[in-house]
Amino acid sequence: MNLLKNPQLLDQLAAGYALGTLRGGARRRFETLARESATVRASALIWQERFASITELQAAQAPSPNVWKRIENLVAAQKRAQAAPAVEAPMLDKLRQTLSLWRGAAFAGGFASVAAVLVGAYVGVGLSRQVDSQDSQLAQAAQRNAQLVAQLKATPDIQYVAVLADDKSAPSVLVTFDPRQQALVIKRVGGYQEASDKSLQLWALPPSGGPKSLGVLGGDKVIRLNAVEGEVKEVPALAISLEPKGGVPSEGGPTGPVLFKGALLQTTT
Amino acid sequence: MVTDTPDLQLIALIDRIAAQGADAETALRDLYDISASRLYGVALRVVGNRDWAEDVLQEAYLNIWRIAGNYRQSLSPPMAWMGVIVRSRALDFLRRRASERADTMQELDDYVSDTVAGDTPDPMDTSQASEQAWALHECLRKLEAKQREVVSLAYLRDLSHSELAEQLKLPLGTVKTWIRRGLEQLRSCMARFA
Repeated sequence: MNLLKNPQLLDQLAAGYALGTLRGGARRRFETLARESATVRASALIWQERFASITELQAAQAPSPNVWKRIENLVAAQKRAQAAPAVEAPMLDKLRQTLSLWRGAAFAGGFASVAAVLVGAYVGVGLSRQVDSQDSQLAQAAQRNAQLVAQLKATPDIQYVAVLADDKSAPSVLVTFDPRQQALVIKRVGGYQEASDKSLQLWALPPSGGPKSLGVLGGDKVIRLNAVEGEVKEVPALAISLEPKGGVPSEGGPTGPVLFKGALLQTTT
Repeated sequence: MVTDTPDLQLIALIDRIAAQGADAETALRDLYDISASRLYGVALRVVGNRDWAEDVLQEAYLNIWRIAGNYRQSLSPPMAWMGVIVRSRALDFLRRRASERADTMQELDDYVSDTVAGDTPDPMDTSQASEQAWALHECLRKLEAKQREVVSLAYLRDLSHSELAEQLKLPLGTVKTWIRRGLEQLRSCMARFA
């Protein structure tokens, strides 16, 4: 069937495509045709533009004056954040070394618990400013991390794992990624609970470019977020920031303080 | 005066934000004052809850603050460009909530089902609308109120026939018929404005 010879049908499909009610196989076929033909693409764009104007026709409603105050604060915070440096390169190097150690340890058996202790240790070295009390903190952190790993073993198909620690090296959040389920599972293991007007937001810290949001955490103890492997693959570290309720858009990066941070490690190679 | 049209005023503000000069924040404030209530109406329509709509509005203006430089290449009327940003932030918001809780859709206000159930004659407002929106308005106005609502909602909430039927508690066949007839009439009417 040649859609170009049937302008009425083309217009009908383009309208359904732009409205969003053309679904499934019909939608995919239309998308294929649009990639092949500028005429098909143009009709889709015309309808997208037309429907976009539905947003201009909605009845106006007054938002609370607080909304502007929040925007103003966040814009100011972003300007400050742009001036602040990103994650230090030396720390990321250390985290990568940890990753290769993890892989080596896997051959020796019992890899998971060994590796988690190393993660805890390196995160501690990288982040703790309290040098004096570091040793005992690290020992405690290692012990707690080993316990966490035991929980991990009960779950099959985990290919990425991160133990996010606070600024005192205490493990606070456990993150695992299962590529088959395309799910990140986040477990709160510390006692931290954000205020009711705040949200925790999970970020991937890629080797280059700014942080990318992986999602906003609900208040539950265990949280699942949808993610595809591309979002976590080759990402050396994850972080969690404290944000206004509902989180902030990914493009601008975190606007609030980073509460927890840790290396993301692949459990299989 | 050409320079007095609302569109040109909005475009000038978006350009000043994009330039990120010393007056960018003032421009954002002015843009907010002119457009916030209209865009809040859009957010409210999509998410159906005042608190959520305020979160969406906040995200949308931060988004506009960052991507104002992309406005020119969109070639869209400024309110439609901003409206689409609000819609996609609102849809993101609903998806995030849905991934956190399965019962999100049951929490939607009665706000929307009321507007669809009642035969409100013409709730649309063209006071700030672009030429394009005015044409769409003229054509939507010719539809039955119910058809108009279902078409608007399908777009604003990005809903399939069956999702519409579920949210509006209408038979699937009815929704399909309303959408099909609505689109047919819209097509022949919009062709006159092409």
